This record gives sequence, C-alpha cells and structure tokens, in this order.
Amino acid sequence: MTELLELREKIKLVYAKNEAIILPVVKFLLAFVTLLVINSELGYMSKINNIALVLIVALACSFLPMFFIILFAAAFTMLHMYAMSLEVALFGAVVYMLMFLLFFRFSSKDSIVVILVPLLYACKIPYVVPIAVGLLGTPASAVTVGCGVVVYYLLAAVTSNATTVNAMNDGDAMAKLRLIVDAVLGNKEMLVVVAAFVITVIVVYLIRRMSIDYSWTIAMVSGAILNLAILLVGDLIYDIKISVIGAILGSILALGIAKVIEFFRFCVDHSRTEKVQFEDDEYYYYVKAVPKITVSASTKTVKRINTPRRPAQRYDVGTGRRSVTISRQDEEDEDYEELL
Amino acid sequence: MINEEKVILMTRMAAFEEHEGRKYMKIVNYFRADYIALQVLKAIFCATISFALIFALYIFYDIEMFMQDIYKMDMISFAKTILMYYGITVIVYGGISYVICAYKYSKARKSLRAYYQNLKKLNSMYEEN
Repeated sequence: MTELLELREKIKLVYAKNEAIILPVVKFLLAFVTLLVINSELGYMSKINNIALVLIVALACSFLPMFFIILFAAAFTMLHMYAMSLEVALFGAVVYMLMFLLFFRFSSKDSIVVILVPLLYACKIPYVVPIAVGLLGTPASAVTVGCGVVVYYLLAAVTSNATTVNAMNDGDAMAKLRLIVDAVLGNKEMLVVVAAFVITVIVVYLIRRMSIDYSWTIAMVSGAILNLAILLVGDLIYDIKISVIGAILGSILALGIAKVIEFFRFCVDHSRTEKVQFEDDEYYYYVKAVPKITVSASTKTVKRINTPRRPAQRYDVGTGRRSVTISRQDEEDEDYEELL
Repeated sequence: MINEEKVILMTRMAAFEEHEGRKYMKIVNYFRADYIALQVLKAIFCATISFALIFALYIFYDIEMFMQDIYKMDMISFAKTILMYYGITVIVYGGISYVICAYKYSKARKSLRAYYQNLKKLNSMYEEN
C-alpha cells in the first residue's frame, strides 16, 4: 500500500509540475480519439473522414478551451448527418441547439462529459460515467450526463437507420424526419438509461458528501446497485433489450474504475503550478509557485502547501511517523482555502 | 530587500485573480438584482428560441395532417394551448435560472470578500514599511 501511495505522490508531483504540457496533450488525445470514433461510426461525408483533418482539428483543440472539443465533435457529427440526409441533420441541429441553449449555459465546466458518455459507450463501459461523475462532480452534472446519453442514442439511431434513410427518395423528406424523430424520441431504452444515470449521479453525490467513514466506497457501491436496479426495472416495464449480464459485468468494471478514480482524484484537486506576474513600487515579480504535496498519516488526504519555505506536515513513508506542523502554517492554509 | 510574506500573499492573490477572480469580478460588477434580471432575461430568450424549435419540429413532424386540419381546427384554442405551454416553459426555466444565478452571485461575493480582506492585509504590510 505504501508503495502505491508513494507512486501516487510521484505522479501527482509530475502532474503538478508539468500541468502546462500534460493538459494540452490530454486535450489533443481526447479530441483525436473522439473525432476518430465519430468518423469510424458515422463516416458518411468522405471529405471530413480524413486523418489529416482530424489531426489538425485535434491539434487546434489542444490549446483551445475544452468546450471547443464539444463544438468540433458536434460539427463533425452534423456534417456526417448532412451528408446522409438534410432532414436528419436538421433534427440533429435542433437537439444540439436545445442542449447548448438550455443546459450548457450553466455547466460549461463539466460539459466535456457529454462527449465522454458516447465515447465510453463505444468502449462498452458506459456504467462508469454516472458513478465517476457523481464522485467528482456536482448534482448539476447529472444534466450533462443525461445530455450525453441522448447524444449517444441520437447517433446510434442515425447509424441504425442509415440504410433505410438512404433507400428513401428525395421527395420523402417528411418520412425521413418522422423516421429519425420516432427512432430517438420513441426509444424507451434511452429514457430508462437517462433516468438511471441521472438518479445515480445525484445519489452517488449525496452519499459521497455524507460525513461517514468510507463515504466514497459506499457511494460508488450503492450507485452501481441503484443504476443496475433502475435498468432492470426499466427492462421489465418497457421490455427493452438491456443485456443483464453485460450490465452486471459493466457495473463491476465501473466499480473498479471508480476505485482507481478515488485513489487518483487529484485531477479535481485544485493544486496546480501557478505562473503569475505582478509588480509593486520596487520590483516586477515573475513567480512560479509549485504545490508541495505531502500525505498525512491518519487520513491519507493531500495537503497542498504553496509556501516553499515553511515547514509542512509530512508523512514519513518508511516509519509511518508524522512530523509536527507549526500552527502558523495552518493559518496560512486556512487563508488559502478561504481565498479559493 | 524582498518581503517574502508579501510575495506569497501577492502570488496567491494573483493566482486567484487569474482563475476564479476574473469570472467573479464580472459577476459582482453588477448589483445583485441587475445581474439576476439580466441572466433571467437571457434565460427567457433561450427558452423562447428552444420552444420555437420544438414547436417547428412538432409542426413539421406531421405537416400533411396539420395542413389538412388547419381549416377545421379551432385556431384560438390551439393558440391558447401553445401559449400555455410556452408560458410554462418560460416560467420553469426562468425560475431555475433565477435560483442558479442567485447562488452564483452569493458565491462570487463571498469569495471576493476574502480577496478584498487579503488586499487590506497587503495594504497594511505596505504601510508598515
């Protein structure tokens, strides 16, 4: 266990020091994989089904804000839908517009989840999403998860009806629209999954915030069971074809991934390398503040200290002993917390 | 001689300004009522466009039937129903926006208060010198 903790601290330090490089690389990879999956699943417009274009867009996404990945992904899917049929593209545009107008205005921070849901569906591990988002996000993230599920089922409806739509004449515009609207809105499976994921996110969040021991573990286990229960009840009521074994195995896998997320939850931790510039009457200051990372023995929580010269609470991995923390340090920490 | 305590405080404040601070200052530049009113107006605008989109989709979904029935149906009661749905959409979405914006504003003000306290602290450090 101590080796794992040591490894985690090392990874955290590397992340804190090289965040400026790691973050663009992560963004690039996410955009690249997303666009590749879109092209391989939809791929109706040959002009954008091009690895060079995908690379250029992914490179652009690496230094643009995270929200641009969503915009580019939406644009790519819209273009593919347009190549298939104008009516399908119109319906897709309406769905995206509703999401941007109504939901993303409020939760732009975690809107990337809307891409992760279809992506994890493509990797066959969608059940990790509600648990992970409940652990790391807020109840508002439930809306984003719901949007992600809708996007997945919209794209699934487009691919599964592609041959029927292509077989129709150009004059059957209304029939094409009706077909795609029915395929999405009449999809009971989508409604059940949206309900299951949204409820799971909220329940996981509520349990995780409780002041009880092992609240994270209890939250993820109960979240997985609840998710499974809602899916199975929905399956019984609406007679949808959810694979029970797949759902159980997926939930177990989701629990494993959630446990890893719990261990490495520094991504949501606010410790980051700060490069700031300011001046006073006498000097210009160009400061790079690297967070110090130490583990306290009792709780194993991370203490972030930005003051390099002050003595900090340390955990000696070898002996399991804690050093004394000077009270002034605590004051500094409180100030910092307050400031954040 | 560089005062390290001052540098630490300034660094933290600069880091705050760069991240949340910029966002929060924009919010707190408004009076509370003005900020919430503006956001709710934006929400009503968005809800109106969304409603128009859904209504257009609803009409186009079955346009042939709609065109056949258009002379038979009671247009006033149809318009009343549509307006009622529109009203419900706007009120519900506007209400949710109101709650979210009120929460955001109070959060921004609270965290900026701490920032201004640090500014005072910094000011007193300069005065001491």
